[in-house]
Amino acid sequence: MKSSRTLGLVMIAPAAIMIVLFFLMPVVLTAVFSMTSMTTATGISGGVYQIAPNSLIALKSAMPDIAAEMAEPRYTIDDAGLKAVEGLGLAPGIAAELRAKHTGEVFPTRRDVERMIKDLAERPSTREVKQISEQFNRSVLNTRFDSKEQLFSALDSLGFKLTPEQKETVARVTYTGWTWTTDNFSRMATSPDMARVLFNTVLYVALVLMLFNVGYALLLAILTHYMPPTPASIFRGIWLLPRITPVVIYVMLWKWLAWDSGFISILMGKFGYPPKNYLLDNAYNAWFFVVLINGFIGASMGMLVFSSAMKAIPKSQFYASEVDGASRWQQIRYIILPQMRWPILFVTCYQTLSLLASFNEILLATNGGPGNATEVWALSAYHTALRNYAGNLEYGLGAAMALVLVVIGVAMSLLYLRVFSYGTLVAKPLIED
Amino acid sequence: MAERSQPSANYRSWPVITALTIVSLPLLLMYVYLFLDTVTVKQADALLPSGLTLNHWRFLWQTTEGKANIWQVTVNTLLFAACTTSLVLIVSSMAGYVLSRLNVPARGFFLAGVMVLHAFPSVTLIIAIFIVLQMIGLYNSLIGVILVKAAIDLPLGIWLMKGFYDTVPWEIEMAGVVDGASRFRVWRSLVLPQVKPGIMALGLFSFLSGWGEFILPQVLAPGNQVQVLSVYLAGFLADDNNYDFNMFKAVGVFYLVPVLLVYALFNKYLMNIYGGGSKG
Repeated sequence: MKSSRTLGLVMIAPAAIMIVLFFLMPVVLTAVFSMTSMTTATGISGGVYQIAPNSLIALKSAMPDIAAEMAEPRYTIDDAGLKAVEGLGLAPGIAAELRAKHTGEVFPTRRDVERMIKDLAERPSTREVKQISEQFNRSVLNTRFDSKEQLFSALDSLGFKLTPEQKETVARVTYTGWTWTTDNFSRMATSPDMARVLFNTVLYVALVLMLFNVGYALLLAILTHYMPPTPASIFRGIWLLPRITPVVIYVMLWKWLAWDSGFISILMGKFGYPPKNYLLDNAYNAWFFVVLINGFIGASMGMLVFSSAMKAIPKSQFYASEVDGASRWQQIRYIILPQMRWPILFVTCYQTLSLLASFNEILLATNGGPGNATEVWALSAYHTALRNYAGNLEYGLGAAMALVLVVIGVAMSLLYLRVFSYGTLVAKPLIED
Repeated sequence: MAERSQPSANYRSWPVITALTIVSLPLLLMYVYLFLDTVTVKQADALLPSGLTLNHWRFLWQTTEGKANIWQVTVNTLLFAACTTSLVLIVSSMAGYVLSRLNVPARGFFLAGVMVLHAFPSVTLIIAIFIVLQMIGLYNSLIGVILVKAAIDLPLGIWLMKGFYDTVPWEIEMAGVVDGASRFRVWRSLVLPQVKPGIMALGLFSFLSGWGEFILPQVLAPGNQVQVLSVYLAGFLADDNNYDFNMFKAVGVFYLVPVLLVYALFNKYLMNIYGGGSKG
């Protein structure tokens, strides 16, 4: 049926376009940016070529004599300089003689050019010599060139004799824009800070996942399963609150609880403890709260998945076991848990990814502090690329860090597709030929 | 929830209820105090309030120096959440139908792709999106954030809608086609009404998630003109000197009430999504 095919293409087009433009393209661009040295300093569009003092320092190690030469001014008798001399209102013969005899000459030092000017037929005074020589000062220092060609022609006209390789080196160190590089990845592999962040991330994911997303969620689901309907739905409602509350308010509540003017401080004050910021007091406290804050949110999803899975267990199994005299614990151990294998596996896989990528709560609560104690990978990528204390945002390095998460994400979701037998999911629906 | 296994009471439920209540106490406490603190006066070291006041709500009628106007910010938030929701609804109800019923090239590939994207660390893309929006000039505009947020919500939307379409019986469409309606019309007037629960669930979810979204607006549209409530509130939170915590809480309540209302009114639809209606 031709028409349904066309209709299908038309109807799926908006989704395809949006996903490609705002989802897939950023993924690809993350990969591209991760291979660059983009920072605030280099800008995100192309840069210019500038022989600045710091680029000369970089050049010194490779080509010390050329660097030294570039640092000094050069004197070139060119048209612009001649016009300027004519405009000085000196004796007209000076300009005319310079133009006729010396156009195009290059003098490496001020002494050389001034000796030449002194020897002119008009014999300018020492003051005039200085004035004239200044018009031909053609230092390359701190001039900006929009392209390589302009840089090279300027160097040529100033009499620098450079081989093509040397020119490339000069162009490389004087370029102010971003360049292609794999430095980001080697920095990630070697930096001790990154190792610390990686450790934090593993600890964070493991703690929240075990204690709350799976452990507490399972407990909550089992307990509410055996409860009368009213208290059960009240508890479920309470534990869903963190998930539906906007993250900014939710974290604000925790801050209110833990701040030095907050609830815990006031409560402890009643027992004579001085108020302090329990959240940022030390690394252990910060970790304690970070795990709680994220865990309380994470518990809800597991609770819902597990509850609905338990509801699907045939009631007859419970009745039968009770007739046989099974206790609650035996019911949980031999009926519920064995049938929860898939939901538990699913929640574990799914929440691992969510936890790896989520950093909103930590950003708002501790911002990675105290020190770097609660800095996790995603937060660190955010800090590196978008909110940096040093002020120089390292887009390239941040993108490289994000790419690591992307790669993990894709790898793990492909794994899920295998584990949760994607084939059967796709085969089911009714498809018209 | 109505039919629940009620096996005979071979244990008492009150110890369990007590234990759960104790564990839930921090949460309850935080929410109760959130509301209480916005309308009461309290001494600095007191746990219980000593009087009533509306002073903490003054942000409603006066604008703090250097901050955006609260109503402007509220309108922005509403606009952001509503536009994201409609975009997600329209696009994913079309794409879901195609994936469920129509034969398009690369269908399997698309489905697998959506599945992969759904479990994707989307927030990490924010760096690239930031640079791209700066390049094309959509940085600090609401349109840019709306498009990005909708795109990030799309995989879930498409997957969910496809799941709902899968449950609609074939016969409904057959009847329409036999009666001579075009496929588009069949979808529009016969199939779409069948998946209303899915549309409700997805719409509510999108709205709540857009209403609460923080990091995207914070990074992509932090300017005062396009600020949303989460960014406005986070600005308070970061402003260490001169913060008025109770007023801050009042803004929080102002921001939270719509969420609670929507949730209270529609929570049975929303459960379709939270309960894993799409994933089982």
